[in-house]
Amino acid sequence: MVRLEQVSKDYKSSANHSNGDAVVVHALKKVSLEIHPGGFTSLAGPSGSGKTTMLNLIGCLDVPDQGKIFIEEELINNKNKNDLALLRRHKIGFIFQSFNLIPVLSAYENVSFALSIMNMAEKEIKQKTETILEEVGLSDMMHRRPNQLSGGQQQRVAIARALVKQPLLILADEPTANLDSKTGEGILKLMEELNEKHKSTFVFSTHDKMVMDFAHRLVLLHDGEIVGDERRK
Amino acid sequence: MKFLIILAWKNLSRYRRRTLITAFAIAFGLGLFIWIDSMLLGMDKESERNFRWYETGSAKVILAEYEDEMTKGNLEYLIPNPAAVSALLNGQNIPHTWRAGFAAEAIVDNGSLFVRATALDPDTDSRVYRIKDAVVEGRFFIAGEFAAVLGDSVADSLDLEVGDFISLRTRTAGGFNQTLDLEVVGLVDTPNPYLDRGAVMIPLDVANEVLFLEGGVTEIALDIPATNDVAQTVAELNTVIQAAYPQLKVLSWTDLAKDFLALAEAKSSGTSMILFFVFIIAAVGISNTMLMAIFERIREIGMMRAQGMKDRQIQISFLLESAGIGLIGSLGGVILGVILNFWIIRWGIDFSTLIGDMDIGYRTTGVMYGAWNIDTIITAFFLGIFIAVVVALIPTRNAIRMKITDALRHN
Repeated sequence: MVRLEQVSKDYKSSANHSNGDAVVVHALKKVSLEIHPGGFTSLAGPSGSGKTTMLNLIGCLDVPDQGKIFIEEELINNKNKNDLALLRRHKIGFIFQSFNLIPVLSAYENVSFALSIMNMAEKEIKQKTETILEEVGLSDMMHRRPNQLSGGQQQRVAIARALVKQPLLILADEPTANLDSKTGEGILKLMEELNEKHKSTFVFSTHDKMVMDFAHRLVLLHDGEIVGDERRK
Repeated sequence: MKFLIILAWKNLSRYRRRTLITAFAIAFGLGLFIWIDSMLLGMDKESERNFRWYETGSAKVILAEYEDEMTKGNLEYLIPNPAAVSALLNGQNIPHTWRAGFAAEAIVDNGSLFVRATALDPDTDSRVYRIKDAVVEGRFFIAGEFAAVLGDSVADSLDLEVGDFISLRTRTAGGFNQTLDLEVVGLVDTPNPYLDRGAVMIPLDVANEVLFLEGGVTEIALDIPATNDVAQTVAELNTVIQAAYPQLKVLSWTDLAKDFLALAEAKSSGTSMILFFVFIIAAVGISNTMLMAIFERIREIGMMRAQGMKDRQIQISFLLESAGIGLIGSLGGVILGVILNFWIIRWGIDFSTLIGDMDIGYRTTGVMYGAWNIDTIITAFFLGIFIAVVVALIPTRNAIRMKITDALRHN
């Protein structure tokens, strides 16, 4: 479903103080990876290993310097900004470490937003939003704003927002990093349940051992290279 | 689009105080603009009316060569046969009256003052002018009476009262010195300060006799009904009159009040300056608010773009938000402007202590009244919204230029 072929990505960090030159960081070095439908894959590794860069490239938030990325056998490297936006809108859901909910909107509106931008009919938006909020256990809190929800509840809203449009792929960047371990475990169990129920493909990054244990497939990254790829379940 | 509108509306309440302060700045600027425009328009309208009622009439028939000599006030340029011209005007159903204007020195026991004297026909003057209605003390003179009616400011300056005598030293139509001794029988107080400060009026038949006008007058003042287009009527009259009397010319009140109209034109530039300052106030307020709003929401913008919102949609949501601030500001500005207008139209502002006897070019009294200008109110309303949208364009465009990954990492 998603295929990375010899993908490299470099970043220029701020100028080196000693000589004024920009420092080039090789975030990914000729990495190849294939992600199959319905998987529950964790990209794991220490800080700076390249997991967030890989998620960004898979999620069409960034473009590689070298190599090719295919989503459903479609090469995405050469797509323009609008095409990439449409691809993300219809095929990719995102869950962020810091939830990134819109504070002035209720839980319901934060979720339905993902459908509104798809120009879906109002009735369908309502039905889908209420269903997904019920699935994540927030049907009685759908009119609360983010500041009236706990961290775990906010992440559930973010999960509902990512899932409501039934995307091919859900990408989660350290989804439990801002949660306590008990709440984080609850979120992972929920993601696992939804992965099984909806057959959605989950890819998440983490450096937390507990989170890695939930993964069905663990891809280990180090210094921009894949150093391990094991199937666990 | 519905979602974008809801998002923009809800974002307005996100930083309520900031939104209100910005909207207040716009409202203050627009309210001030509406108010000042009303005051200036009121002064224009009142000046126009006071010109026509007390100074120029709607138009004047004069000798063509008198046009450039009018301010000198000598009696050289007389229409020799005013009765014939009157007959023509009667044929056109144009109310009119005869006058002779001349410069004179008003002399009293303790000093003198140069004045604009007007010899007028007390029986027909009210066909064109409203001076007879403005008598505040004494009475208006009658034909044949060696009497004068003075502007009340002239009387004040010369320390004269009704019943006192005044000597007018001037020149006859033939250029000889002549002095008239006249009893002050009345004082007028008109809304036209130019008349009150410098006018001395005497009967036309007396002037005819002692100034040797030989039946001539310097001008025939016309009253063109308000329903008529003055410029068009004057053009038509010029054709008719010049066909019979090529040496005559009809000037409209706008020709006669060129200085005032130039002032009004300059004032219009002043209004543009006010508009410019309103623009600056609104632009600075809105751009500051939008810059802060965008800076605080860069991660949110990153999230929205990650979710598949197009850059144009995000820009529209911010522009709608900005338009919302503009809308609140415009509504406030219109309400403020209407309240201020109501006050200035109903009660006016008394600038008399500030202005005193100063000539500011306008033919208005010290109390200045406004006038409703619906066009300005509508313009101000839409201008507030337009400015808000225009100045938000640049910060929103900059916000969506940032890479999504950088926006998502922004703290």
